[in-house]
Amino acid sequence: MMEYILKNGIVYDPANNIAGEKKDVMFKDGKIVDNVSSDAKVLDVTDKIVMPAGIDPHAHVAGPKLVVGRIYRPEDSRKGVTSKTDVCRSESGFSIPSCPATGYRYSRMGYGTVTEAAMPPLEAKHTHEEITAIPNIDIAPLPLFGNNWFVLQWAKEGKIDEIAAFVASWLRITKGYGIKIVNPCGTEAWGWGGNVHGIDDPVPFFDVTAREVVRALAQANEMLGLPHSIHIHPNDLGHPGNYPTTVNTLDCVKDIEKSSGLRNQTVHLTHAQFHSYAGTSWRDVESGAKEVADYINKNKHVTCDIGQITLDETTTMTADGPMEFDLHQLNGLKWANKDIELETGSGIVPFIYSGRAPVPSFQWGVGLELFMRIKDPWQVCLTTDHPNAGPFIRYPRIISWLMSAERRQEMMDNLEVRVWSYKRTGLGTLDREYDFNEIATITRASAAKIYGYQDRGELTPGYNADIAVYDLNPNTIDPSKEPAAIEKAFGNAMYTIKDGQILVKDGEVVKVVPSHTLWTNVQGFEEQEKAVMEEVMPRFRRYYTVKFENYQVQDHFTPNPIVTDVQAGK
Amino acid sequence: MKTITLTVKKKSQIALEFDELIPDKVFTWEKADFENYQVPVGNRRFPLTDYFDIEVEGTAEGPEEVKMILEGDCGRVKYIGSKMEAGEIIVNGNADLHCGAEMKGGKITVNGNAESYAGREMEGGELEIMGNTREFCGCSYIGDWRGMSGGKIILHGNAGKQLGECLSGGEIYVGGDCDILAGIHMNKGFIQIDGDVTRWPGGQMKNGNILIKGKLGILLEGFVYDSIVVDPEIDGKSFSGKYIKYNGDIAVNGKGNLYLNAEKNREYL
Repeated sequence: MMEYILKNGIVYDPANNIAGEKKDVMFKDGKIVDNVSSDAKVLDVTDKIVMPAGIDPHAHVAGPKLVVGRIYRPEDSRKGVTSKTDVCRSESGFSIPSCPATGYRYSRMGYGTVTEAAMPPLEAKHTHEEITAIPNIDIAPLPLFGNNWFVLQWAKEGKIDEIAAFVASWLRITKGYGIKIVNPCGTEAWGWGGNVHGIDDPVPFFDVTAREVVRALAQANEMLGLPHSIHIHPNDLGHPGNYPTTVNTLDCVKDIEKSSGLRNQTVHLTHAQFHSYAGTSWRDVESGAKEVADYINKNKHVTCDIGQITLDETTTMTADGPMEFDLHQLNGLKWANKDIELETGSGIVPFIYSGRAPVPSFQWGVGLELFMRIKDPWQVCLTTDHPNAGPFIRYPRIISWLMSAERRQEMMDNLEVRVWSYKRTGLGTLDREYDFNEIATITRASAAKIYGYQDRGELTPGYNADIAVYDLNPNTIDPSKEPAAIEKAFGNAMYTIKDGQILVKDGEVVKVVPSHTLWTNVQGFEEQEKAVMEEVMPRFRRYYTVKFENYQVQDHFTPNPIVTDVQAGK
Repeated sequence: MKTITLTVKKKSQIALEFDELIPDKVFTWEKADFENYQVPVGNRRFPLTDYFDIEVEGTAEGPEEVKMILEGDCGRVKYIGSKMEAGEIIVNGNADLHCGAEMKGGKITVNGNAESYAGREMEGGELEIMGNTREFCGCSYIGDWRGMSGGKIILHGNAGKQLGECLSGGEIYVGGDCDILAGIHMNKGFIQIDGDVTRWPGGQMKNGNILIKGKLGILLEGFVYDSIVVDPEIDGKSFSGKYIKYNGDIAVNGKGNLYLNAEKNREYL
């Protein structure tokens, strides 16, 4: 492989405290290096922005519900259709793009890594098959544990060792990266036609609460010392008055001691925007962003991503089955519902976030208010919870909103968003503007830190040469005044380099490479795992519709794995 | 005024796609441009001259000055007049799928039969079909809940199933008979059917009007009797005769109106 030198770029590398410094970035054999020989190929990026490649900490890009979404929304698939090129296959879809399109579009934005934030273990094989069909981005899938029957049972009995052993086994069985929790106890309650309405509401039959489940999984997570903390979508998503549930969920793990040195947090709150509402109903709804942001500002054991509304027509899909039913009742559009035996469930509903409607305008305001109020950019990441609050291809637009108070004000003034965006939220009073360094933090560095990645997210020698170059000169552009230019540049990377290979040049995909699967292999817990499997297997044989031999994800489902080996408890 | 005449000389087994050959795009084209044009056929393109003789007369300043005449059987030509905004297209023969789909303006006349999806998601203009058409005339794209929203479809022959599915504006006139579920999921607009209807008009309709002059096979249970109206006026148009008026579909709390000719449907009285 060749040596390269990216010459005279203006580098933003928050992990190394480099904020807009004019310097060269060099890489060789797919890794960042300190120096290269005189044979190195020079890429002139004079006065262009250079950052580590983007890392998306929470999106839904592969798995069974994407497929259901594509099948039942042909009207979405016909948007974004392109012809094939010499390099790329044809693309289709807007909110649920085809697998290749997902890879190409992330690449064009300068992204290199994405987390698939909800993998039902039973459908893990399928998820991995889809990951192999998505090129150009590495994907870390998070298996769902928050409504798993075994976990619910042990959480009730306080058997943390068993949960830890189960998690360790299931990460290996499903080739997953970390623990995802969605509406803990609520999705299981949905199997009984109900939901839970707070963290102390017990689920039918198991008679255990979300508080107990979340605490148990957080303790198990720290017992194993996984690189990522628990990744939680709390109860009551999207319901007015839900912010106390959110804060209580974050607070209930406060006393649990962190074991991994790779990250700072013990809990990651996902799509915080949907969980930050005050009031009692949609009539008197108010933003709860201040309360949630205040809690995050005061507590270092918490990180979050936002789930920013992009004001598009999209497809909502989540393992939070009862929430999707509520949504279907609200907008009357089609609804798909699925139960994954013993493990979880999911729902899918199309949704139009129109700036002409009060509620989406309000949600738009809440998301941006959170971005403005959370002080430490290392505690927040940019996401849309793709495709739930909007498709990921809108990240550049969100960046332009974050960097321009003027643009936000203009949107509120000329009614691109309705009055609820500032009357029911605090956004109108906030004039913070993100700078390029903060953007680099919330789109790559903080996500890498939150996931405990040690090979990406920084331009440190030895790290993967995952680099994005954007055609912007930070010394001459005023992002506050030129949001359109910001959006265009961040949407069409000048270079996207992954593992030292140039995948995108001038906004065009020029090379397609297979993606990697990131998963976590826990070691040193074999005895406990064996014991717990003996306990699991009778119930597995009795209740699952598949044989265990057909359940495990064999190695050929992950042809390009990047395995993070973890010594349990270290 | 520019007249473009395309005369069929060979019919393809696989459908040709004509969505690029609309007045809005070809009003500046000379004969040579058409002769150089490659038409999509399946996943490849072939010269248009393989399939058509081309004549171009006159000039046009804009698409509204274009008249395109397709001579011969275009039963394997899809997307005729799709997305057109102005001008006129006349098909002297049959038309294949999606004729006038997403049309915004201008006029299309089919002097023959049109296949399914004629006038799909039409927003404006006029589509006149002298013969029959088949399923999903004036409907939505598959999976979508937003159908035809404007313009007018005049059908002199018979219509297939699910005519005006998800209709949210505009009007559809059917001179002949109509198969099941006309106006399914409609929420606005007007459908007039002069001939007989097999069954279930207005299934799950939320709003809008359907008028049936012929005989109805089976009425859906979701429609409740309202009154007998004589010489009704609907959407600003007057109709003569006695009609039974129903409201529905109550299964979806619908507020639509269904008018049924009383003379032809005495058993419903």
